[in-house]
Amino acid sequence: MLSKTEEGARLARLDRDRGLVEAARRDPAQFDALYRKYLAQVYSFAYYELRDHHAAEDATERVFMKALAGLPRFEERAGDFTMAPAFGRSGSSTPQAPDADASTFRIWLFRIARNVVANEHRHDRRRPAAPLEEALGLSAPDDIAEAAVAREAGSAAWEAVARLPEDRRRAVILRFVDEMSTAEIAGVLGRSEGAVRVLIHRALRSVAADLRGRLS
Amino acid sequence: MLGDGARDARRTELYLDSLVQADDRRALDVPVDTGLDPAVRLAAQRLRSDLVRVHPSFRFEEALAARLSLGAARLRAGLPVEPAEAPAHVPATIAFLRLPTSTAPDVDASAAVQFRNPLLSARPPRPLLFGGVGVASAAISIGAVYVAWRWSHPSPTPMGRAARAAHGSRVTHPAGRSRRTAVLQGILGVVS
Repeated sequence: MLSKTEEGARLARLDRDRGLVEAARRDPAQFDALYRKYLAQVYSFAYYELRDHHAAEDATERVFMKALAGLPRFEERAGDFTMAPAFGRSGSSTPQAPDADASTFRIWLFRIARNVVANEHRHDRRRPAAPLEEALGLSAPDDIAEAAVAREAGSAAWEAVARLPEDRRRAVILRFVDEMSTAEIAGVLGRSEGAVRVLIHRALRSVAADLRGRLS
Repeated sequence: MLGDGARDARRTELYLDSLVQADDRRALDVPVDTGLDPAVRLAAQRLRSDLVRVHPSFRFEEALAARLSLGAARLRAGLPVEPAEAPAHVPATIAFLRLPTSTAPDVDASAAVQFRNPLLSARPPRPLLFGGVGVASAAISIGAVYVAWRWSHPSPTPMGRAARAAHGSRVTHPAGRSRRTAVLQGILGVVS
Protein backbone atom coordinates (compact mmCIF):
# COMPACT_ATOMS: atom_id res chain seq x y z
CA MET A 1 0.00 0.00 0.00
CA LEU A 2 1.46 3.35 -1.04
CA SER A 3 1.38 6.22 1.39
CA LYS A 4 0.05 9.58 0.24
CA THR A 5 3.58 10.91 -0.13
CA GLU A 6 4.73 7.89 -2.12
CA GLU A 7 1.66 8.08 -4.29
CA GLY A 8 2.26 11.78 -4.91
CA ALA A 9 5.88 11.14 -5.78
CA ARG A 10 4.87 8.35 -8.14
CA LEU A 11 2.35 10.63 -9.84
CA ALA A 12 4.95 13.40 -10.10
CA ARG A 13 7.30 10.96 -11.82
CA LEU A 14 4.62 9.57 -14.08
CA ASP A 15 2.99 12.76 -15.24
CA ARG A 16 5.09 15.00 -17.45
CA ASP A 17 2.39 17.66 -17.24
CA ARG A 18 2.38 17.75 -13.47
CA GLY A 19 3.98 21.22 -13.32
CA LEU A 20 1.58 22.72 -15.85
CA VAL A 21 -1.42 21.14 -14.16
CA GLU A 22 -0.41 22.44 -10.74
CA ALA A 23 0.15 25.92 -12.16
CA ALA A 24 -3.28 25.84 -13.80
CA ARG A 25 -4.87 24.79 -10.53
CA ARG A 26 -3.26 27.67 -8.69
CA ASP A 27 -4.19 30.13 -11.41
CA PRO A 28 -6.75 29.02 -14.04
CA ALA A 29 -5.24 31.53 -16.49
CA GLN A 30 -2.23 29.20 -16.68
CA PHE A 31 -4.47 26.59 -18.32
CA ASP A 32 -3.51 28.27 -21.57
CA ALA A 33 -0.20 26.38 -21.64
CA LEU A 34 -1.98 23.02 -21.48
CA TYR A 35 -4.46 24.19 -24.08
CA ARG A 36 -1.75 25.20 -26.55
CA LYS A 37 0.13 21.97 -25.96
CA TYR A 38 -2.79 19.65 -26.67
CA LEU A 39 -4.98 21.67 -29.04
CA ALA A 40 -3.77 19.99 -32.23
CA GLN A 41 -3.98 16.52 -30.72
CA VAL A 42 -7.54 16.96 -29.48
CA TYR A 43 -8.61 18.68 -32.68
CA SER A 44 -7.08 15.92 -34.82
CA PHE A 45 -8.82 13.24 -32.79
CA ALA A 46 -12.15 15.05 -33.19
CA TYR A 47 -11.57 15.72 -36.86
CA TYR A 48 -10.71 12.11 -37.75
CA GLU A 49 -13.69 10.90 -35.72
CA LEU A 50 -16.28 13.40 -36.93
CA ARG A 51 -14.84 14.12 -40.38
CA ASP A 52 -16.16 17.63 -40.38
CA HIS A 53 -14.20 20.81 -39.77
CA HIS A 54 -16.87 22.70 -37.84
CA ALA A 55 -18.01 19.68 -35.84
CA ALA A 56 -14.38 19.11 -34.84
CA GLU A 57 -14.06 22.74 -33.75
CA ASP A 58 -17.21 22.53 -31.66
CA ALA A 59 -16.08 19.28 -30.07
CA THR A 60 -12.62 20.71 -29.36
CA GLU A 61 -14.16 23.74 -27.71
CA ARG A 62 -16.37 21.59 -25.51
CA VAL A 63 -13.44 19.38 -24.52
CA PHE A 64 -11.29 22.26 -23.33
CA MET A 65 -14.12 24.09 -21.58
CA LYS A 66 -14.97 20.88 -19.73
CA ALA A 67 -11.32 20.31 -18.91
CA LEU A 68 -10.95 23.81 -17.50
CA ALA A 69 -14.10 23.40 -15.43
CA GLY A 70 -13.08 19.94 -14.22
CA LEU A 71 -9.42 20.60 -13.51
CA PRO A 72 -9.90 20.70 -9.71
CA ARG A 73 -11.22 17.12 -9.90
CA PHE A 74 -8.50 15.86 -12.25
CA GLU A 75 -6.30 13.96 -9.82
CA GLU A 76 -9.10 11.89 -8.30
CA ARG A 77 -10.43 10.86 -11.70
CA ALA A 78 -7.03 9.94 -13.04
CA GLY A 79 -6.13 8.02 -9.90
CA ASP A 80 -7.03 4.58 -11.23
CA PHE A 81 -4.79 5.05 -14.23
CA THR A 82 -1.80 6.31 -12.32
CA MET A 83 -1.84 3.08 -10.35
CA ALA A 84 -1.58 0.94 -13.48
CA PRO A 85 1.29 -1.54 -13.14
CA ALA A 86 3.05 -0.55 -16.32
CA PHE A 87 3.30 2.70 -18.16
CA GLY A 88 6.06 2.16 -20.68
CA ARG A 89 5.99 3.30 -24.28
CA SER A 90 6.14 -0.28 -25.42
CA GLY A 91 3.16 -1.05 -23.22
CA SER A 92 4.59 -4.30 -21.94
CA SER A 93 2.73 -5.92 -19.09
CA THR A 94 5.95 -6.47 -17.20
CA PRO A 95 6.83 -3.74 -14.70
CA GLN A 96 8.99 -1.03 -16.22
CA ALA A 97 10.54 2.25 -15.35
CA PRO A 98 7.99 5.05 -15.68
CA ASP A 99 7.91 6.71 -19.07
CA ALA A 100 9.18 10.27 -19.13
CA ASP A 101 6.72 11.05 -21.94
CA ALA A 102 3.69 9.80 -20.09
CA SER A 103 0.93 12.15 -19.07
CA THR A 104 -2.08 11.27 -16.99
CA PHE A 105 -3.46 14.68 -17.88
CA ARG A 106 -3.45 13.68 -21.54
CA ILE A 107 -5.30 10.46 -20.68
CA TRP A 108 -7.88 12.43 -18.73
CA LEU A 109 -8.23 15.04 -21.49
CA PHE A 110 -8.77 12.36 -24.13
CA ARG A 111 -11.33 10.62 -21.96
CA ILE A 112 -13.28 13.85 -22.07
CA ALA A 113 -12.70 14.03 -25.83
CA ARG A 114 -13.90 10.46 -26.28
CA ASN A 115 -17.13 11.24 -24.41
CA VAL A 116 -17.72 14.45 -26.35
CA VAL A 117 -17.18 12.69 -29.68
CA ALA A 118 -19.43 9.80 -28.63
CA ASN A 119 -22.17 12.27 -27.73
CA GLU A 120 -21.71 13.93 -31.10
CA HIS A 121 -22.07 10.57 -32.86
CA ARG A 122 -25.23 9.83 -30.89
CA HIS A 123 -26.59 13.25 -31.80
CA ASP A 124 -25.80 12.67 -35.46
CA ARG A 125 -27.61 9.35 -35.43
CA ARG A 126 -30.72 10.99 -33.98
CA ARG A 127 -30.66 13.98 -36.31
CA PRO A 128 -28.77 13.41 -39.53
CA ALA A 129 -27.19 16.64 -40.67
CA ALA A 130 -25.14 17.61 -43.67
CA PRO A 131 -22.28 20.02 -43.21
CA LEU A 132 -22.97 23.33 -44.86
CA GLU A 133 -19.86 23.10 -47.03
CA GLU A 134 -20.94 19.67 -48.20
CA ALA A 135 -24.44 20.86 -48.99
CA LEU A 136 -23.22 23.87 -50.95
CA GLY A 137 -20.03 22.34 -52.27
CA LEU A 138 -17.93 24.90 -50.40
CA SER A 139 -14.75 24.59 -48.43
CA ALA A 140 -13.22 27.05 -46.02
CA PRO A 141 -11.08 29.22 -48.31
CA ASP A 142 -8.66 30.35 -45.63
CA ASP A 143 -7.85 27.02 -44.08
CA ILE A 144 -4.92 25.33 -45.74
CA ALA A 145 -4.78 22.51 -43.21
CA GLU A 146 -8.43 21.78 -43.90
CA ALA A 147 -7.74 21.59 -47.62
CA ALA A 148 -4.75 19.33 -47.05
CA VAL A 149 -6.72 16.99 -44.88
CA ALA A 150 -9.59 17.02 -47.33
CA ARG A 151 -7.17 15.66 -49.90
CA GLU A 152 -6.00 13.07 -47.41
CA ALA A 153 -9.63 12.16 -46.80
CA GLY A 154 -9.72 10.83 -50.28
CA SER A 155 -6.87 8.48 -49.62
CA ALA A 156 -7.57 4.81 -49.53
CA ALA A 157 -5.96 4.47 -46.13
CA TRP A 158 -8.25 6.96 -44.50
CA GLU A 159 -11.29 5.42 -46.10
CA ALA A 160 -10.20 2.03 -44.84
CA VAL A 161 -9.84 3.42 -41.33
CA ALA A 162 -13.24 5.10 -41.56
CA ARG A 163 -14.80 1.73 -42.31
CA LEU A 164 -13.41 0.14 -39.16
CA PRO A 165 -15.68 -0.57 -36.19
CA GLU A 166 -15.76 2.29 -33.71
CA ASP A 167 -13.43 0.86 -31.05
CA ARG A 168 -10.79 -0.23 -33.58
CA ARG A 169 -10.95 3.07 -35.42
CA ARG A 170 -10.56 5.02 -32.21
CA ALA A 171 -7.57 2.94 -31.14
CA VAL A 172 -5.91 3.41 -34.54
CA ILE A 173 -6.42 7.19 -34.46
CA LEU A 174 -4.99 7.45 -30.95
CA ARG A 175 -2.04 5.29 -31.95
CA PHE A 176 -1.16 6.78 -35.32
CA VAL A 177 -2.40 10.37 -35.14
CA ASP A 178 -1.88 11.16 -31.48
CA GLU A 179 1.06 8.75 -31.11
CA MET A 180 -0.12 7.31 -27.83
CA SER A 181 1.38 4.23 -26.27
CA THR A 182 -0.70 1.13 -25.72
CA ALA A 183 -0.95 1.95 -22.03
CA GLU A 184 -2.22 5.46 -22.74
CA ILE A 185 -4.80 4.20 -25.24
CA ALA A 186 -5.91 1.64 -22.68
CA GLY A 187 -6.38 4.49 -20.21
CA VAL A 188 -8.43 6.54 -22.67
CA LEU A 189 -10.62 3.69 -23.86
CA GLY A 190 -10.98 2.03 -20.47
CA ARG A 191 -9.66 -1.28 -21.79
CA SER A 192 -6.77 -3.51 -20.78
CA GLU A 193 -3.48 -3.13 -22.61
CA GLY A 194 -3.86 -6.63 -24.05
CA ALA A 195 -7.28 -5.75 -25.45
CA VAL A 196 -5.89 -2.57 -27.05
CA ARG A 197 -3.03 -4.53 -28.64
CA VAL A 198 -5.51 -6.96 -30.18
CA LEU A 199 -7.77 -4.10 -31.32
CA ILE A 200 -4.91 -2.42 -33.19
CA HIS A 201 -3.62 -5.67 -34.65
CA ARG A 202 -7.05 -6.58 -35.97
CA ALA A 203 -7.56 -3.06 -37.27
CA LEU A 204 -4.32 -3.29 -39.24
CA ARG A 205 -5.35 -6.62 -40.69
CA SER A 206 -8.68 -5.11 -41.78
CA VAL A 207 -6.94 -2.10 -43.33
CA ALA A 208 -4.48 -4.42 -45.09
CA ALA A 209 -7.33 -6.51 -46.52
CA ASP A 210 -9.14 -3.35 -47.59
CA LEU A 211 -6.08 -1.96 -49.36
CA ARG A 212 -5.37 -5.30 -51.00
CA GLY A 213 -8.98 -5.46 -52.24
CA ARG A 214 -8.65 -2.01 -53.79
CA LEU A 215 -5.41 -2.88 -55.53
CA SER A 216 -6.82 -6.08 -56.97
CA MET B 1 1.34 -18.29 -21.95
CA LEU B 2 0.35 -16.18 -24.90
CA GLY B 3 -1.90 -17.48 -27.65
CA ASP B 4 -1.09 -16.94 -31.32
CA GLY B 5 -3.39 -13.91 -31.53
CA ALA B 6 -1.86 -12.23 -28.50
CA ARG B 7 1.66 -13.02 -29.74
CA ASP B 8 0.92 -11.52 -33.15
CA ALA B 9 -0.63 -8.48 -31.49
CA ARG B 10 2.49 -8.04 -29.35
CA ARG B 11 4.71 -8.38 -32.41
CA THR B 12 2.63 -5.76 -34.24
CA GLU B 13 2.94 -3.43 -31.27
CA LEU B 14 6.71 -3.78 -31.18
CA TYR B 15 6.84 -3.06 -34.89
CA LEU B 16 4.74 0.11 -34.45
CA ASP B 17 7.04 1.22 -31.63
CA SER B 18 10.05 0.72 -33.88
CA LEU B 19 8.37 2.83 -36.59
CA VAL B 20 7.87 5.66 -34.09
CA GLN B 21 11.46 5.37 -32.88
CA ALA B 22 12.74 5.41 -36.47
CA ASP B 23 10.82 8.64 -37.03
CA ASP B 24 12.20 10.09 -33.80
CA ARG B 25 15.72 9.31 -34.99
CA ARG B 26 14.84 10.70 -38.41
CA ALA B 27 16.06 7.41 -39.80
CA LEU B 28 15.44 6.97 -43.51
CA ASP B 29 15.27 3.19 -43.41
CA VAL B 30 12.06 1.53 -42.30
CA PRO B 31 12.52 -1.25 -39.77
CA VAL B 32 11.75 -4.72 -41.02
CA ASP B 33 10.31 -7.55 -38.96
CA THR B 34 10.39 -10.61 -41.17
CA GLY B 35 8.14 -12.51 -38.79
CA LEU B 36 5.32 -10.01 -39.17
CA ASP B 37 2.65 -10.47 -41.82
CA PRO B 38 3.88 -8.32 -44.77
CA ALA B 39 0.35 -7.01 -45.39
CA VAL B 40 0.09 -5.81 -41.79
CA ARG B 41 3.54 -4.25 -42.08
CA LEU B 42 2.54 -2.42 -45.23
CA ALA B 43 -0.73 -1.21 -43.70
CA ALA B 44 1.16 0.08 -40.66
CA GLN B 45 3.58 2.02 -42.85
CA ARG B 46 0.74 3.41 -44.89
CA LEU B 47 -1.21 4.59 -41.86
CA ARG B 48 1.95 6.01 -40.34
CA SER B 49 2.47 8.21 -43.40
CA ASP B 50 -1.17 9.02 -44.25
CA LEU B 51 -2.77 9.72 -40.88
CA VAL B 52 -1.25 13.12 -40.26
CA ARG B 53 -1.98 15.34 -37.31
CA VAL B 54 -4.18 18.31 -38.15
CA HIS B 55 -3.95 21.76 -36.62
CA PRO B 56 -7.03 23.96 -36.50
CA SER B 57 -6.98 27.44 -37.97
CA PHE B 58 -5.13 30.18 -36.13
CA ARG B 59 -8.39 32.14 -35.93
CA PHE B 60 -10.12 29.29 -34.12
CA GLU B 61 -7.14 28.75 -31.81
CA GLU B 62 -7.10 32.37 -30.68
CA ALA B 63 -10.87 32.62 -30.34
CA LEU B 64 -11.00 29.56 -28.13
CA ALA B 65 -8.02 30.83 -26.12
CA ALA B 66 -10.00 34.02 -25.48
CA ARG B 67 -13.02 32.01 -24.34
CA LEU B 68 -10.88 29.93 -22.02
CA SER B 69 -9.33 33.09 -20.65
CA LEU B 70 -12.80 34.42 -19.86
CA GLY B 71 -13.67 31.08 -18.28
CA ALA B 72 -10.53 31.23 -16.17
CA ALA B 73 -11.45 34.72 -14.99
CA ARG B 74 -14.90 33.44 -14.02
CA LEU B 75 -13.32 30.54 -12.13
CA ARG B 76 -11.08 32.95 -10.22
CA ALA B 77 -14.18 34.90 -9.27
CA GLY B 78 -15.78 31.72 -7.94
CA LEU B 79 -18.24 31.44 -10.83
CA PRO B 80 -18.79 28.50 -13.18
CA VAL B 81 -16.66 28.52 -16.33
CA GLU B 82 -19.66 29.28 -18.51
CA PRO B 83 -22.74 31.26 -17.46
CA ALA B 84 -25.74 28.99 -17.05
CA GLU B 85 -27.93 31.20 -19.21
CA ALA B 86 -25.50 31.17 -22.10
CA PRO B 87 -27.36 30.79 -25.38
CA ALA B 88 -26.98 27.59 -27.29
CA HIS B 89 -24.28 27.40 -29.94
CA VAL B 90 -25.23 28.50 -33.39
CA PRO B 91 -25.20 25.19 -35.23
CA ALA B 92 -22.55 24.86 -37.89
CA THR B 93 -24.70 22.44 -39.80
CA ILE B 94 -28.12 22.65 -41.33
CA ALA B 95 -30.19 19.57 -40.78
CA PHE B 96 -31.49 17.80 -43.84
CA LEU B 97 -30.24 20.55 -46.12
CA ARG B 98 -29.01 19.01 -49.34
CA LEU B 99 -29.33 21.45 -52.15
CA PRO B 100 -28.88 20.09 -55.64
CA THR B 101 -25.70 21.48 -57.18
CA SER B 102 -27.56 23.05 -60.08
CA THR B 103 -29.76 25.17 -57.80
CA ALA B 104 -27.18 25.92 -55.13
CA PRO B 105 -26.45 29.63 -55.01
CA ASP B 106 -22.97 30.70 -55.97
CA VAL B 107 -21.97 31.87 -52.53
CA ASP B 108 -18.54 33.01 -51.52
CA ALA B 109 -18.09 31.85 -47.93
CA SER B 110 -16.15 34.98 -47.04
CA ALA B 111 -18.97 37.15 -48.36
CA ALA B 112 -21.71 35.22 -46.62
CA VAL B 113 -23.62 36.83 -43.79
CA GLN B 114 -21.59 36.84 -40.61
CA PHE B 115 -23.60 36.35 -37.45
CA ARG B 116 -22.03 38.10 -34.51
CA ASN B 117 -23.75 37.59 -31.21
CA PRO B 118 -21.95 39.78 -28.65
CA LEU B 119 -22.26 37.00 -26.07
CA LEU B 120 -20.41 34.68 -28.42
CA SER B 121 -18.02 37.24 -29.82
CA ALA B 122 -15.03 35.19 -28.77
CA ARG B 123 -16.15 32.33 -30.98
CA PRO B 124 -14.78 32.27 -34.49
CA PRO B 125 -17.15 33.88 -36.95
CA ARG B 126 -18.70 31.38 -39.29
CA PRO B 127 -20.57 31.98 -42.48
CA LEU B 128 -24.23 31.33 -42.04
CA LEU B 129 -27.03 31.59 -44.51
CA PHE B 130 -30.20 33.16 -43.30
CA GLY B 131 -33.57 32.85 -44.92
CA GLY B 132 -35.46 36.10 -45.76
CA VAL B 133 -38.13 35.34 -43.17
CA GLY B 134 -35.53 35.06 -40.42
CA VAL B 135 -33.92 38.40 -41.26
CA ALA B 136 -37.27 40.19 -41.50
CA SER B 137 -38.43 38.67 -38.22
CA ALA B 138 -35.27 39.79 -36.43
CA ALA B 139 -35.55 43.33 -37.81
CA ILE B 140 -39.21 43.61 -36.78
CA SER B 141 -38.39 42.33 -33.28
CA ILE B 142 -35.59 44.86 -32.84
CA GLY B 143 -37.86 47.66 -34.11
CA ALA B 144 -40.66 46.65 -31.77
CA VAL B 145 -38.34 46.61 -28.79
CA TYR B 146 -37.08 50.08 -29.69
CA VAL B 147 -40.63 51.46 -30.06
CA ALA B 148 -41.64 49.97 -26.71
CA TRP B 149 -38.55 51.44 -25.07
CA ARG B 150 -39.20 54.89 -26.52
CA TRP B 151 -42.84 54.66 -25.42
CA SER B 152 -41.80 54.11 -21.82
CA HIS B 153 -38.87 56.58 -21.80
CA PRO B 154 -39.94 60.19 -22.36
CA SER B 155 -37.42 62.47 -23.95
CA PRO B 156 -35.20 64.27 -21.43
CA THR B 157 -35.31 67.55 -23.38
CA PRO B 158 -38.07 70.15 -22.72
CA MET B 159 -38.93 70.23 -26.42
CA GLY B 160 -39.34 66.48 -26.52
CA ARG B 161 -41.55 66.47 -23.44
CA ALA B 162 -43.68 69.28 -24.90
CA ALA B 163 -44.08 67.45 -28.20
CA ARG B 164 -45.07 64.29 -26.40
CA ALA B 165 -47.61 66.17 -24.22
CA ALA B 166 -49.10 67.85 -27.30
CA HIS B 167 -49.31 64.53 -29.10
CA GLY B 168 -50.95 62.85 -26.11
CA SER B 169 -53.57 65.60 -25.75
CA ARG B 170 -54.70 65.25 -29.37
CA VAL B 171 -58.14 63.82 -29.94
CA THR B 172 -57.66 60.58 -31.80
CA HIS B 173 -60.25 58.80 -33.81
CA PRO B 174 -61.16 55.54 -32.01
CA ALA B 175 -60.74 53.57 -35.20
CA GLY B 176 -57.27 55.02 -35.71
CA ARG B 177 -56.23 54.19 -32.15
CA SER B 178 -57.46 50.65 -32.40
CA ARG B 179 -55.75 50.22 -35.75
CA ARG B 180 -52.46 51.48 -34.30
CA THR B 181 -52.84 49.24 -31.26
CA ALA B 182 -53.58 46.28 -33.46
CA VAL B 183 -50.47 46.96 -35.53
CA LEU B 184 -48.31 47.22 -32.42
CA GLN B 185 -49.82 44.06 -30.97
CA GLY B 186 -49.19 42.34 -34.24
CA ILE B 187 -45.54 43.39 -34.19
CA LEU B 188 -45.10 42.36 -30.59
CA GLY B 189 -46.97 39.12 -31.12
CA VAL B 190 -49.57 39.93 -28.46
CA VAL B 191 -52.83 38.05 -28.77
CA SER B 192 -55.78 39.84 -27.22
